[in-house]
This record gives sequence, C-alpha cells and structure tokens, in this order.
Amino acid sequence: MSKRYVGIESIAEYLPPRVATVAELGARGLLNRSAVTLRSFGFETVHLAGDESNLDMAIAAAEKLLHETGIDRDEIGMILYAAALNSSSTLWNGNGVSRPGSVLDLGNVHDLFKYPASVLQTRLDLPNAAVVGVNQVGCASIFAALRMARALIATEDSLKAILCVSADKFPADQPRDLAYNLVSDGACAALVRRGAVRNRIVECTQVTKGALWDSDTIENEIIAAYFPTAAALIERTLKKARLTIDDIALVIPHNVSLRSWEILGRLIKCPADRIYTNNISKVGHTIASDNLLNLRHATDAGLVKKGDYMLLFTFGYGSNWASMVVQH
Amino acid sequence: MRRPTVLLTGATGAVGADLLQRLARRGDLAVKLLVRRSDRDPVERVRALLDYAEINATIDVIEGDVCAGRGLGASPDALRDLQHTTTHLIHCAGSTSFTLPITAARRANVDGSRNVLDFARDCPALECGAFLSTVYVSGKRCGDFAESDFGDGGLGFVNSYEESKAEMEEMISAAMSELPLILVRLSTVIGDSGTGRVRHFNTIHHAVRLLYSGLAPMIPGDPNEPVDIVSSDFVAEAVLRLVEHAPRPGVYHVAAGRESSSSLGDIIDETMSAIAVHRPQWRKRTIEKPLIVDLDTYELFVKSVEETGNPVLREATRSIRTFAYQLAHPKVFDTDRATAALADDGIAPQQSLDFYPRVVKYCLESNWGTRQC
Repeated sequence: MSKRYVGIESIAEYLPPRVATVAELGARGLLNRSAVTLRSFGFETVHLAGDESNLDMAIAAAEKLLHETGIDRDEIGMILYAAALNSSSTLWNGNGVSRPGSVLDLGNVHDLFKYPASVLQTRLDLPNAAVVGVNQVGCASIFAALRMARALIATEDSLKAILCVSADKFPADQPRDLAYNLVSDGACAALVRRGAVRNRIVECTQVTKGALWDSDTIENEIIAAYFPTAAALIERTLKKARLTIDDIALVIPHNVSLRSWEILGRLIKCPADRIYTNNISKVGHTIASDNLLNLRHATDAGLVKKGDYMLLFTFGYGSNWASMVVQH
Repeated sequence: MRRPTVLLTGATGAVGADLLQRLARRGDLAVKLLVRRSDRDPVERVRALLDYAEINATIDVIEGDVCAGRGLGASPDALRDLQHTTTHLIHCAGSTSFTLPITAARRANVDGSRNVLDFARDCPALECGAFLSTVYVSGKRCGDFAESDFGDGGLGFVNSYEESKAEMEEMISAAMSELPLILVRLSTVIGDSGTGRVRHFNTIHHAVRLLYSGLAPMIPGDPNEPVDIVSSDFVAEAVLRLVEHAPRPGVYHVAAGRESSSSLGDIIDETMSAIAVHRPQWRKRTIEKPLIVDLDTYELFVKSVEETGNPVLREATRSIRTFAYQLAHPKVFDTDRATAALADDGIAPQQSLDFYPRVVKYCLESNWGTRQC
C-alpha cells in the first residue's frame, strides 16, 4: 500500500466493567421511557463508569492501543481529543456563571483553562504530540477528529501518526435514554497513520444543520430530519468515493436503536446482514466511541477481509451527520 | 316553461360551496339548497358563502338533513315543493373524513345517499341526478382505473371514506336503470387554479405543512408514479356541465388523468421549491426533502414512532398515513367519458404543476387557513 495512504491502523477501547440492564436502569429511575420500549429498540445492557473520569477512560483506551501496537511514542505527532460532552461545547451565558450543577458552575475561572488533552499527553508520555481538542460535534466528534487527522497527515510531511481519542462519561444521575437511545459510558482510541496497513480512509463527509442546534426544544424536527439527511449524506459519501452500497462489505454503525438501523438500512438499500449491529444490545450508545469500537470488534470477528470497503456513519447533536468510507 | 331547478346538497362543503358560487351567477336557474342547521342558522351559513358573489339565480335555502330519512329533514311543504320542482340534483353532502369509523362513514355517505336516492324517485321532473363520489373507490387497486370499473377489486380500501363511497356507488349504479343518474368521481381537490385559494384544507394541505415544518421525513410511494390532483374551479365547472348536459347514466371521472397528472417526485420537488420561493428564510432551516419509500419501510417508521409515544411525530405520521397509503397504490384514472362529455365546452383539467405552486403559496400566506389573505 502506498505510503501516501492514511488509515486507521489500530483501535483500542475502554468500557467500564460495571454493566446495568435496562430493567436495572428503570428500577433506579434512570430511564425516561419504559424498559419495554427500549428493549423493543434493541437495547439490553449498558456500561456505567464508576469512579473513572472521562480522562481515566481516555487514558485507559489510549494506553491499551499504545501497548498493542508497540509504536514508538515519539512518533506520535499529535493528539486529537474528541469529546462530545466536553464543557467547551456548552453554551456559556457570558457572565461567568452557568446553571447550578452544570459543567460551567465554576468556583475557579482557571478551571476553564484546564484541558484533558494536555493531561492525556503528559500521562501517556507523548512529548512530541501537539494536542487539539475536537468538540461541539456531539457524537460525530471522533469522525471530525479522524477527518482532520487524515488531512493533517496528508498535508504535513513531518506528521506521520496521530492519536485520536474519544471518551465520554454521561452524568451519573441523569436518565440514560436520550432521543430513544440508551447511553453508555466508554472510550476509544485510534492510531491514524501514514502508510497504515489497514483501514485506509477513503472518504469523509459531514453535514451540519445549525438550525437544529437546540436538541432540547426541537427534538421532533431533529428526529424527523435524521433519516432523509442520513440517507442523502451516505449517498453523497459513496458517490465521492466512487462506490455504491453494493461495494460496501460491512456498514459500521453508531449504536443507536436497532429499529433506526433497520429503517436506515432499507433507505440506503443495504441488507441487514451487512450492518454490524451486534453491539447495540450489549454495549449501547457510547456517545462518540461507537463506530471505532464496532470497527475493532467487527475486524476481530473476521467479518472483513483485506480490501473490503466499510461505511461508517453517525449522528451527533448540533446537528451533525457524518460518514466515512474505509478500506480494510 | 318553468326555469330549471337545481337542488344542491352539501352547499357549505368543500366542493358544494364552489358549485353554489357558480350556480348563483346563473339567472336562468332556480337554486335550492338543502342545508343542515349547525351552530349557525342555515341562511346565515349560505349568506356567508355568497359574500361578494354575483347572484343572478333565485336561491332558496331549505333547512334539512340528508341523513334524516327519505324526507331529508325538510318540512312537508318544502319537501313537496322540492319533489315537484327539482329538475337537476347534485348530491355533495357527506363526510370526507378519512378517520371516521366505518359505521359513521356509512351513516354519512351511504344512508344519506339512500335518502337522496329515495327522494329522487319522487321527483317526476328529474332530468339528471348527480351523486358525487371519489376516484378512490378504487381502494388498493394499482394501475389503470376506468370509469366502467367499480370498487376495490377485492384488494381492500385505505380508509373508511373510500369504502363507504364504494358502497354508495353500488346503490346508485343499481338505480341507474330506473332514474337518470350519474356518479361523478372526483380526484383530490386542492384549490383554485388561478388564485391558489383553498376553501377546505385537507390532508394534502396538511402534508404540505408537515413538509414546511420539517416533520415529514418520509412518504410511501414511488417517485415516478402519478399523483392525481385537480383544481376546485375545474371540478365545479365539470360537475355543473355534466349535470346540465345530463349525459348517459354512468360514471364520470373528474380527474387529471394520465395527461395532466404529475409524478409524486415532481410534486414533492415543487412543494419544496414553492416554499423556498415564498419563504426565503425557510431555506436557513435546511430541511431535507422527504424520502419516498416503499410501504414496508414506511410502516416500520410509523411503528417506531408509535412505540416512542412522541405526540408530535405520532400526530404527523398519523395524518400522513390517512392518505399516504394511496400513494403506495399508484393508479391512473381513465377519463374518456368525462373528457368526451366536456370537450365541446372546452372544460379540461389543468396540468397539475401549473397551479399547484399557487396552492402552496396560499397555504403559506393564509397560514393554512388561520390568517386572512
């Protein structure tokens, strides 16, 4: 494979060991909807972080990746830290005070300048890695990070490897079902590398509909926009990659409701057996880490072979739709 | 020689009101309206409809109700007068609701028509009695539907409106051997071709609103299949002319037919374009065009929405559902008989896309009937 190719060479994850069933969440008052409805949408269990912070999960996933790849840590020239729930993605009211209990309910203004990406760099001992935070893209954050990593490596000769990390911990006392999906805690790390031997990033696309930024008050419009925008974006991505859905060996989804993937699969004319939905029931929706986690699991399970094309798709509040074609 | 006397039922309804305005202009006619008492006095209801209208005909308002038996709920004197004077009958009254239970739909559309039919039997001067129906008595049939065809062909109906109208047709067609009757099957009436004015907002207009609001992610159907819509002025002209000419008893399709229909894909494109033109700010919302999907996919989506219990989306999908299933059973309405009967008067349907954008504009400007424009 040409060294000009940029690909996702390896992926590692961290999922908190604590698992809760839908019924348990319901019993603890952590569901808005009934457990029956969520089960009918394909959810069974989620992972719940305990004492682990976002950062702890990010470090755990990244350390696992660095260990598995054995890469020279000095080779990593950048960390792109993608976090959907980062405090910077919250609208600040400008007075230095936010709603009590919110992420910006600050006692010390210096807290606004304390960044997990920098901590990640020093804890991982990556002295050559510049850090950039990627946020405000919701669950599509990691897609934005991968896209930027690909572009940076392709354009900067000195940059050969970038570590992309996503980690999100949902507020412990909040209901876990959001827009009919069940949220899990977790983290993923991906090594994006020039000349990667697998998972060449062929095409990345994203569409943002800023008019749908307010996920709280216009949820109905967002849900209604989801399918037509998703189908249009996937079509556009495939067209840019000069592929059709028939060329795709496996669709790597985000772990939103199984029902929504049944519908989207029909819309993009992709048979259900070519959509990797195995993790929806047991892992749930890990905010931004779903697709990388699923890509790793599908690969480990031998579901893709060398040269196969995969289509990754996700949606993030904001509202952002993102898709990517990767060649294994 | 006495002036022809037209008895019109349902004058305050969607089609009836347009017929009334045209009948009122005719100085050579006596027009009698059978109007139900609702919360307003029947005369007041008619007067409101004829505001600003040119009135040359003699118009009598008779309080009554087609569902009130053979006497139509009219007083004995009024009934006797109607029986002796009516030369032309146009029966528009009925329910166009898609969501009534079948028993209620039958009461409005079958029982009411039976009473009018019985009344017609007592009209010795009757030259033509027209019973308005719908081309969607075809139910879930697909493909060509001729004026000589009846009913759903055993395939079922999409809603109780279609089913009750099909039952009404059976009854009326059986009586055609004894009375000068015609069945006029109307297509979907959406508004005036010149002004876009909508007198009665129906599910099509509601669907336009859902598209405008970004709450219609998908619609069942085939983008290339025709959608039959007609203007209210064409319908009114065609119905009046058919009744006046008293053609051979039978069925007549007042529809766009193959020649004047547009495809579902084009209709949706035109809706989005017209909204964008007349509401430039709407573009900022970057609302995606609804997907046209197969029925199974649509059903799956509807099922999901039902399960979520989301009231807004449930209401949106339910309102589309009442008519959208017809889109998944595409058909072309043959109009040979009606075309032949109307040709000499130059009455023909307009091309759908020539007037449809004006209707969308009217929906926007009147905020779907809630604002004067």
